[in-house]
Amino acid sequence: MAGILPADPTPWTKRRDAGLSDVTMRRTIGIVTKRFSTGQHNVFSGYPEGSLARQAAVVAKRQAIRDMDKLWPRFRANVEARGGRTYYARDAQEAVTIVVKIAQNHQVQRVIKTKSMLTEELQLNHALETQGVLVVETDLGEYIIQRAQETPSHILAPAAHKNRDQIETLFRDDAGGRGIAPPQSNDAQSLTLYARQCLREEFLQADMGITGGNFAVAETGTVVLITNEGNADMVTTLPQILVSVVGIEKIVDTWENLGVLIQQPAMNGIGQRLSSYTTFVSGPRRESMVEGPAEWHVVVVDNGRHLLRDTVFEDVLSCIRCGACLNVCPVFRQVGGHAYGSVYSGPIGIVETPLLTDWSILPELPTVACTVCHACGEACPMEIDLPHHVIQLRQEKVRRRLVAASVTRSYRWWAQLWSTAGGYRRSLRWARWGQRLYQRQGTLRSAPGIARGWFMSRNMPPVAAETFHEWWDKHRMGGPS
Amino acid sequence: MKPVELFVTCMVDAFRPTAGIAAVRVLERRGAEVRFPQEQTCCGQFSYNGGYHHEAAQLARHFVAVFESSDHPIVALSGSCAAMVIHEYPSLIAEDVLSTGGSKEEAADWKHRAEQVGLRAIELSQWITQQRPEGAAASHDAKSATSVVLHQGCHMRRLLKANAEPEAALRQSGIQPLTVGDEDQCCGFGGTYSMTEWKVSTALADAKWDNIKKVVQEHAATCLTSADLGCLLHLEGRQSRLGETFPVLYLAEVIDQADQQEKGGT
Repeated sequence: MAGILPADPTPWTKRRDAGLSDVTMRRTIGIVTKRFSTGQHNVFSGYPEGSLARQAAVVAKRQAIRDMDKLWPRFRANVEARGGRTYYARDAQEAVTIVVKIAQNHQVQRVIKTKSMLTEELQLNHALETQGVLVVETDLGEYIIQRAQETPSHILAPAAHKNRDQIETLFRDDAGGRGIAPPQSNDAQSLTLYARQCLREEFLQADMGITGGNFAVAETGTVVLITNEGNADMVTTLPQILVSVVGIEKIVDTWENLGVLIQQPAMNGIGQRLSSYTTFVSGPRRESMVEGPAEWHVVVVDNGRHLLRDTVFEDVLSCIRCGACLNVCPVFRQVGGHAYGSVYSGPIGIVETPLLTDWSILPELPTVACTVCHACGEACPMEIDLPHHVIQLRQEKVRRRLVAASVTRSYRWWAQLWSTAGGYRRSLRWARWGQRLYQRQGTLRSAPGIARGWFMSRNMPPVAAETFHEWWDKHRMGGPS
Repeated sequence: MKPVELFVTCMVDAFRPTAGIAAVRVLERRGAEVRFPQEQTCCGQFSYNGGYHHEAAQLARHFVAVFESSDHPIVALSGSCAAMVIHEYPSLIAEDVLSTGGSKEEAADWKHRAEQVGLRAIELSQWITQQRPEGAAASHDAKSATSVVLHQGCHMRRLLKANAEPEAALRQSGIQPLTVGDEDQCCGFGGTYSMTEWKVSTALADAKWDNIKKVVQEHAATCLTSADLGCLLHLEGRQSRLGETFPVLYLAEVIDQADQQEKGGT
């Protein structure tokens, strides 16, 4: 069953141009991504245990994906045994319906949330808000973009595209609306302090908490959250109702395997050995406890995951959402995350978006957002073969006729000509003859057909008066002179 | 004499034949007996990266058939094209044979043939450094050495993992290679990507030039060079459109010039 993912209806060319013309965003994203990717590189140097853990994590996660359908019932049984309620949602619609119903059953008015890409994928906030529920994001980055009414531009750092000045302006407006004191300045401390003060109130007033799940452990029915702000501790202990929305691919079998995996998002995402906070949820409050939610609901979501199983793309499900592939991607650094039009941007986004939705949204992504530089393949800690997946998706587009017929004809004709020496030489002679129309001062300045785009911004030397083949014929036939 | 088979690539052949001629001279000065299989055309990477795998496989089969008759090294004038032959051909051809109704035996046979050809393929700077693995020439004075900006293509870096060779080959000829900031970032060429997504491609070219210019200003470099002509044509084409004229030379052209100067000087 295909997943349902949100898609920006704005066409790619407009999304791209908006990204390219946003100078502040490009500068900001350039600095942030470089800091993250340098951090990833540095954290592994002189830390062989980290590399060993990463290799073990790949093995563990691949096996978990293979065992997905066995791990889910086991996880479910253990969550239930500790007093949690479990649900299985085949797609976004089912997941949203389940969570909205839980909120309605408890007359929930205020929800606080931890950062979760899955809930972005499900557009859960929107669904709750249309039911009159106030939803507040408690991750600082998410809090910022929620004030700006934007979507995350980066899977790990949702506000990576915003600089301090822009955040200060947002917070000032926010303070004005609430009639409270604005942040004192645009330094990180003042901005964080402002958000912290606002969030304290939200934590205390909320009647339901919603989390995602970075990992889930089948053997104990535990949902694992990693944060750098400690906000997940608050979300999972203060409200009376707690809902965890977890992708089915997040379940691992044992704590031993969790042990090797848990460092990976921080090491590869931001270059830190471990996230500052790790939150484990293993059930609602029991009688002996003084804090924690009275009810814990765990919604496990497929939303297209199973489509990737038993295909060459299965390794994509190993993604731990560290964002390393985004950080090194040259296209991402230029156009920013919003240009992708999907909640998942960067290399993982261009692969995952068409696969999860069975090509129902944004089919242009594998074509338009990759130079095939292989930087993502090198950066991915889970060894997901992103570059080849992009190429394979392009092949799939040709197969599904998602490419203009004229382009396909050009490639066919090209291959036919160039698969014989005679055809190849003939085509260069034709080009030499034809290019006279497009030349100025010894350089080509335009061309027809698929080469046209090149000449929008670049020149090209013409086909030489004497090609290397012709030179060799003339000077070297019969061996070196 | 060491026989080698030269794979010039379609781009050198058509747009910069002098780079191929320079490569012949560079190879011959280093003891190679250069042979040029005249039936060669293109490795097919344009089609492969574009998703036209059947079309790419047609060119790949042609390449294998042209080059498989000897067991000499195949010296490629492009890291990217060498990577295509070495890393993509075996499975590309085998899968195409199967998807066009061929038998498993046929596919396995083609795969084997492609692998044999791939084992012989080597990029030019890799071949040069292989001849003198001990490294830089001692006779050159590092201070007076000509400085050039070296751009390392992505496939050279990440598929061939030949990060040291272009630099070492230049140093052997007494040339001082300079690296640019964000050197691991793609220049934006990407084969047909440069045509289909010219805006992003050009933004990347401009970012690359910004970094190149910083180095040029600091170190008085004489030219930009690379082991991949595709990147260079893209970067040169961009500055040409902007009316700028900083010299852009393929690696063999730089080494050939240094060779000639050395000969003239001694």
